[in-house]
Order: sequence, then structure tokens, then C-alpha cells
Amino acid sequence: MEATAGSSGAPRSALGRWRRRETFAAWAFLLPSLVPFVIFVAGPLLAAVALSFFRYDILTPPEFAGLDNFRHLFADDRILAVYRNTVVYVAGTVGLETVLALLLAVATHRQIPGVLRYVFRTAYFFPVLTSLAAVSIVWGYLYHTNFGVINYYLGTIGGPQIRWLTSSAWAMPALVFLGVWKSLGFSYILFVAGLQSIPRHLYEAAAIDGAGRLSTFANITLPMLSPTMFFAVVIALINGFQIFDSPYIMTQGGPGDSTRTVAMYLQEQGFRFFDMGYAATVSLTLFLVILVLTLIQFRFGRSWVHYG
Amino acid sequence: MATTTPIGQLERERAGPAARDVVRPTRWREHAFDWGVNLLLLAGGVLMLAPFVWAFSTSFRLGRESFSLPPQWLPTDWRLDNYRAVLDALPFFRFVFNSFKVAALITLLQVVTCSTAAFAFARLRFRGRDALFFVFLSSLMIPQYVTIIPIFIIVRRLNLLDSHWALILPSAFSAFGIFLLRQYFLTIPRDLEDAARIDGAGFFEIYRRIMLPLVAPALVTLTIFSFNYHWNEFFRPLIFLTTWEQMTLPLGLTVLRGYLGTGNTAAVMAGVTMAITPVLLVFLLFQRYLIEGITLTGLKE
Repeated sequence: MEATAGSSGAPRSALGRWRRRETFAAWAFLLPSLVPFVIFVAGPLLAAVALSFFRYDILTPPEFAGLDNFRHLFADDRILAVYRNTVVYVAGTVGLETVLALLLAVATHRQIPGVLRYVFRTAYFFPVLTSLAAVSIVWGYLYHTNFGVINYYLGTIGGPQIRWLTSSAWAMPALVFLGVWKSLGFSYILFVAGLQSIPRHLYEAAAIDGAGRLSTFANITLPMLSPTMFFAVVIALINGFQIFDSPYIMTQGGPGDSTRTVAMYLQEQGFRFFDMGYAATVSLTLFLVILVLTLIQFRFGRSWVHYG
Repeated sequence: MATTTPIGQLERERAGPAARDVVRPTRWREHAFDWGVNLLLLAGGVLMLAPFVWAFSTSFRLGRESFSLPPQWLPTDWRLDNYRAVLDALPFFRFVFNSFKVAALITLLQVVTCSTAAFAFARLRFRGRDALFFVFLSSLMIPQYVTIIPIFIIVRRLNLLDSHWALILPSAFSAFGIFLLRQYFLTIPRDLEDAARIDGAGFFEIYRRIMLPLVAPALVTLTIFSFNYHWNEFFRPLIFLTTWEQMTLPLGLTVLRGYLGTGNTAAVMAGVTMAITPVLLVFLLFQRYLIEGITLTGLKE
């Protein structure tokens, strides 16, 4: 990499040579991630857009279909149903999760014996790390109508015997409860970090003014925590819209289509019916949703730079 | 510091023992309230762990006792029959090995590709750096369901269906990993690099001998996140893997349930217990790195 007479007008100084070497080195360091990025991220994204204009069943060559897939999309009753299901799931999990995580974070943000603090953090956070597929299997048994642990305890307090996974009224709530249990700890950890970054002098000032617990919470904690909450909610929304494992394992989308989510629907279209063009079209709608959510976060959320 | 808020207590704790020993009239009420909250939190924590406890205890019982009511929460029995049943019915160790292999190779690959890219983004100057970083970061918002269809077509063309490479190769790029490591690389003072340059070190030496050791905690964090994520992965294995020989653990568990689920729940719980125990161990050992990683990036892959 000797700097030959600079046709690009680069100075022939030592500094110029160094700059060129730096640029060369930078691209060399980037190559190992740039290649898989192009092949497995950027390329496939463009290919998915292209596929949405084709009919392709994998076995026979793709056939140009114009806007057929999009016409299908707008006339498809099932796409409406799966989006409605997904939105219900997202609203339920994100709402419950945020409220519960906030309560938890506030309740543990005080002087607590070290052992208890450790126990709480472990208990509430551990489900986050486990495989959704594995815990869906366990919960499937817990939800069993006749032999399930949950209905047993409902029975002992005189509650109804709910057909959790086999009635269209309860299957979605059952998935929501599992989802909240599974990811509650994630929002909780974010909120704890958010609480720790609130300046102490604000609380000191409130104490001097004689503010009580509730008014301190409403006037200091909540507003100071709002960027964190906003961020946690957007992340939960993005994850929620992509839910697949638990409905696939626990209800197979049923009864009927009552728990089929967008991700399940496109998996069915693409990999069961091998309608790749339509599956790609459906996937693009999901991309659009995530894109809008991310842009909202980007536009309105403050960046995440709290170092507790 | 006359205060009755929980935060006030934290303040006193930080202020040291002298401040904490001040006796005030409302103290007993505060204590009662605190312990009430602690008890509630403890009850909630027990509920959170209950599904694991049930799976664990059931796995050691006779299959026909799986659904005996009222539920027995503690293990009443310590039979290993169910574990043997799992291993007889399916190549379960094979699933474990496959999961380990896939997760380990992806993690290794990502540690290399993410640390080199993060080094370039954080420590080198070149035209287009910020734009490219923005493009990389933007890919975080592409759902896997969008790219999976073209990737399936590529993988099929390469004759890699039902092979672990179908999972490993497309995971070589991780925007999350690059972002996480870049955050750490940015915190390293410039002097170290300058000193090494004066001593005649090249870029690779600076990366390898100075930077990598300094970001070791971040590499641990990335390793845990990446390994855990791919150990638990279900969707992609479902799409790409079809034979028992190749299946990974979460997929294998659903096969196990289909195979033994109605007859022997206890055996299925034995499988679940085997799948979750390593995660528990990693969690207990590396809790600090996990929590740090989440609070630093706010992401979980």
C-alpha cells in the first residue's frame, strides 16, 4: 500500500499514507460482517420485495404475477383475522407486562436484604432466558382443562373450569398470560436501570417539601422514567408482533383461526402451501409494521444512554 | 433527611450506619409496610418459578402420576425411568449435541465478525463509516420472517436443507453484536492506541493485542446472549431441519411431546428439564453480564 503519485490528489505526506492504510484496514475489518450482511440480510430483503410480484411454489420456476399477490392480500379475510389476533395479543401482553414490570421495579427500588434482592431478580428474570418452545410445552399441560394445575386451583376457590386452549374465547388470553410471564423480567430489568438513573437530589427536594409516596411517584418517578418506559414498550411491541412459538406449539392457531398470528400465517402460506410469493407479501406487511414502530421510537424516544 | 419514602431509606443506607440508626416515630410502620411488600414480592416470585418446579418434580415421578391432583409441588419420588424413556424413544443426546454445536459455532462466528466490525466502527476513520453503521443498525428492524423465504430458497439451492449450515451461515451477521461491542470499544482511551502506533504496531495488532483483551467483558456478554438465543431458537430449525439426526433441542422437545406426550407426560418433563437446566446454570453464573448487556443496549437479540 505505498502511496504512489496521488492521482486522487491525496497528499504524499506520512499522514496521507496513514489515512489510506486506515481506510484499507477498516474495510478489511468490515469484510467478515459485510459479506453475510449482503448475502443474508440486504439481498433477501430485496428478494422478498421482488418475490411479492411473483408466483413461486419452489418446484416450478417463478412466474411474474404483477399485483396479484397484493390484490389477494386486500381481499383476504384471513389476513384481517390474523392481524386482529396479533394486535389483541400485542395489546394484552404489552399492557400487562408494562404495568406489572413498573410495579415490580418500584417495589424493589428500596433497601432490601441482599439475599431477597437476589431471589427476586432471579425469580422474575429467569423465564426471559428460557426457550419459549420448552415453556410452551410445560404451560400446555398446566392449562389442561381436566387435569391442569391451573384449573385445579381455580376449582378450589370455587372458580369456573376454563377450557383454556380449546375455546376460542380463552385461547388468546392463555397465550397472553404465558407471554407476560415469559418477558415480564425483561421490562423489569430495564425499569430498574431507569430508576437508578434518576438523580437523587430530586427525591431529596421532594422530601424537603414534604411530598408523600404517591405524589413523589406521580411527580418525579413517572415523568423521569417515561423515556425508559417508552423504549420498553416499543421493544415489547416489536417482539409481540412477531410471536410464533407459543401459538404454534400450544394451539396450532386454533380453535379455528382464533390464535393464528401473522407469523404463523406466513409460515403456513410459505412452508405448508408453498405459496412463496404470497408469504413474502404478507411478510412485507409485518416489516412495514415494525418499520413504523421503529421510526416512532427513533422520532419520539430519547436515545438509550443511561449508564446506571 | 426526614422522609418516609422507600427512596429515603435507600438514601439513609447510602449515608452510612450513623444515619440509619436514628430512631424515628414512624419506623415500625415503615418496617411493617416494607415486609408486607417483601412478602408479596416473594409470593409473586414463587408463582414465577412454579412452572419450572412442576416440570422438575413431575419428571421424577411415575408417568401415570403426572396429572394426580392436588398437584404435588415437591418431588415425591426420584425415579430416573423417565429420563431413560426419553433417551430410549429419541436420540435426545443427539438433539443436545446438535443444539450445542449450532449455538457454539454461531457464537464463535459472531464474536469474530462483530468484534472486527465494531473495532472498525469505533476506532478507525474512513469515508462512509457513519452511513454504513446506520445501515447495519437499521437491519435490526427487519423481522426474520421477511428474510426467511429468500434464505430458504438460497439454502435449498446450496443443497443445505436439513443441515446445520442452514442455521449457522445466515447468522454470521449480527447487528446486535456489532452495536453491543461498539459501545464498549468507544469507551477505551485513545492514548493506548497511540502509544502502540508509535511502537510500530499495525491495525491488526492493535485490535488483537490491545483492544480485544480490554473488551473481554463485552465478549462474554455477547457470547452468553448469542449462545442462549440460538440454544433456544425454534422457528428457523422448524423451517430447515426435518430429520431427527439434525434436529435441535426445542424442536426435538415438540417431537418428544408428539411421541410420548399423551402417554407419558413425565418423560416430556424430563426432556424439558434437561433443556432448561443448562440455561439455569449459565444464568446463575453470569447474571451480572446479562443484566449489564440488557441495560447497556436495551436489546435481547
